[in-house]
Amino acid sequence: MGGYCNSPSSSIDSSCDPDLSTSSIFEQRRDLSTELRLGLSLSSSSLQHKYSHKEKDPLSDWPPIKPLLRSTLEGKAHQSNSETFFVKVYMEGVPIGRKLDLFAHNGYDDLIKSLGHMFRTTITCSHVSQVSLEKSHVLTYEDEEGDWMMVGDVPWELFLSTVKKLKITKVEKC
Amino acid sequence: MVGRFRWAAMFPDEVWEHVFSFLTSDGDRNAAALVCRNWNRIERRSRKRVFVGNCYSVAPTVAVRLFPEVRAAVIKGKPHFADFNLVPSDWGGGAEAWVEAMAEGWPNLEELRFKRMVVSDDCLDLIARSFKNFKVLSLVSCDGFSTSGLAAIAANCRHLRELNLRESEVEETCLNWISHFPEPFTSLVALDIACLEGEVNASILERLISRCSNIMTLRLNHSVPLERLVGLLQRAPQLMDLGTGKFSARHNPQLFSRLESAIVGCKNLRSLSGFWEPGLTYLPAVYSICEGLTSLNLNYATVQNPELVKIISRCKNLRRLLVMDLIEDSGLVAVASSCKLLQELRVFPSDPYDAAEPVSLTEHGLVAVSAGCPMLHSVLYFCRQMTNAALLTVAKNRPNLTCFRLCIIEPHTRDYVTQEPLDTGFSAIVESCKDLRRLSLSGLLTDLVFKSIGASANYLEMLSIAFAGDGDMGLHYILSGCKNLRKLEIRDCPFGDKPLLQNASKLETMRSLWMSSCSVTLGACRQLARAMPRLNVEVINESGRGPLAAQPDNCPVEKLYIYRTIAGPRTDTPQCVWTV
Repeated sequence: MGGYCNSPSSSIDSSCDPDLSTSSIFEQRRDLSTELRLGLSLSSSSLQHKYSHKEKDPLSDWPPIKPLLRSTLEGKAHQSNSETFFVKVYMEGVPIGRKLDLFAHNGYDDLIKSLGHMFRTTITCSHVSQVSLEKSHVLTYEDEEGDWMMVGDVPWELFLSTVKKLKITKVEKC
Repeated sequence: MVGRFRWAAMFPDEVWEHVFSFLTSDGDRNAAALVCRNWNRIERRSRKRVFVGNCYSVAPTVAVRLFPEVRAAVIKGKPHFADFNLVPSDWGGGAEAWVEAMAEGWPNLEELRFKRMVVSDDCLDLIARSFKNFKVLSLVSCDGFSTSGLAAIAANCRHLRELNLRESEVEETCLNWISHFPEPFTSLVALDIACLEGEVNASILERLISRCSNIMTLRLNHSVPLERLVGLLQRAPQLMDLGTGKFSARHNPQLFSRLESAIVGCKNLRSLSGFWEPGLTYLPAVYSICEGLTSLNLNYATVQNPELVKIISRCKNLRRLLVMDLIEDSGLVAVASSCKLLQELRVFPSDPYDAAEPVSLTEHGLVAVSAGCPMLHSVLYFCRQMTNAALLTVAKNRPNLTCFRLCIIEPHTRDYVTQEPLDTGFSAIVESCKDLRRLSLSGLLTDLVFKSIGASANYLEMLSIAFAGDGDMGLHYILSGCKNLRKLEIRDCPFGDKPLLQNASKLETMRSLWMSSCSVTLGACRQLARAMPRLNVEVINESGRGPLAAQPDNCPVEKLYIYRTIAGPRTDTPQCVWTV
């Protein structure tokens, strides 16, 4: 009985350029497996590998999942996540602010990284445990009571429910 | 009756009826009915609950006549593979004949449960008008009806306790069908409308829930927003089983705290489901009741591992968990350490077609749960890789498995470490798990695994096989073994005529056999049908080659459905189905 190796660790192409982006590697893998599958169906006449052609067809009968789950997953594919929470972010000394979607981030580390890229500086908050004199900026936020607080003290979910806007200030001011 | 039991024959029928009323299981009542003619007569005349696993196995009028006192009936229609688009939509399973017979012969019917049947609005109308004491309507995986039919039920069934539409396909023709429950109607205990695609008027629902003070189960559809969920929960704090609607909303701290309080207020909540389009900010609202949960269905919740783990690791009393493979191996390790009372686990694929970004759920997750959860007995697991070693470990850890369904998404997948077929792994499962009742196979499998299954799976009742086996011997091992096999469903396997013909009498001991994309010919079907008059041999050919009666014996059969019946060939077959 024919079969093929679909181990994720096997490299399809040993001369694969390591700089290739992940998505094209996956495309290569998918193409190769389609090739192998078609080869299989030609060699064993009694088997009908109909599923491989119907793979992308919403009326597909494989894998065996029920209609409600099937339509939910398809719906998810077509629909963008409607939940966003954009807040204004200002850097001290820069008059023009930016906007950032807090819901697109998993937590403080993610947020710091994004802001670091956005404003091209290293930022710290009380969540980050590095104590480095090179850090020139601190992240603060305005809460629902109008007070300016250092970011990172409260759990992420609680932060999301009280934050109104963000400000990146110079360390000396704290 | 035998001499020494003559005293028993002097008991009036009512005494035996009373004795039989203590037999709760169908199997026990069936056994009692076989003892002697008297018991047969008394038992069936007093039977209150009847289960018909295949709606075509007996004529409705016959069933109604044989069991005149029935108050609760369960009728199942289409073969299981209909769930996966393998059965033509017009195949059959219509409920009319049953509803008409029941309306005529069981006026006191209280509970009706249909599964995979085609139920029309006319049927619903007839049900609504015929049974004055009607209490339970359950339509699971059904289709053919619309919300107009539901309106008729709502308007007329004054004592309705349960309306369950789980996984059904319902046309939306009547927008406010819920408003058809009259004002004095207060008896509702369970309502499951999660499958409805359209808008449900939340205000009308709120008024209904307010006056039904006994409501215990409420499963909403995705159209009910979080804001309205709060109102519903506040009016039904006694709820035990909640299916939320859409679980996200615009950022609103007040809504979050109102939702959290409303949920905390439901002190009896044991089962949670729904979670359509969940938003990260609102998921923490359920943390407070996690510890009391025994059942959690996150089947539709496309959230990542961290959020899933935060919820599930708080559910120390969980018995049943349904989740997406987004939980990943690390999440299942958390389940194994937090949910020590877990009995049933189902893991579904979040990306069944593309695997563009493969999720890191592998055999390790399954092994972890099998090791950490001593009461685990039912598993449904979708994944992309497996090893024999992992299956052996699962078999060793969990000899108490009663249901093991593994779906490795890519057919013919080998053990990715040894490159071998998965025969030894699955053999270990059937040899170790002596009480296994249900098994689904996947991956690369030869006839060897069927030899083990045939020999060891003595209590197996349902077996699902796809893309497996080498040839006829595989099927022969199954049909000549598996003493308690009831349902066998096979697709895309190289099984042909010989094992069917050699084991023809086995087929009469089973409820049904489904085979599609195998190597069966029309000639074998003809032979089988001739030899076994109490089997219906249905051949389904959708490619329209002309009337099957004219086709030669070597004509290949696309799909085959064989079931035992005392009703003879059915009269409602569509064009593509032919009873041989």
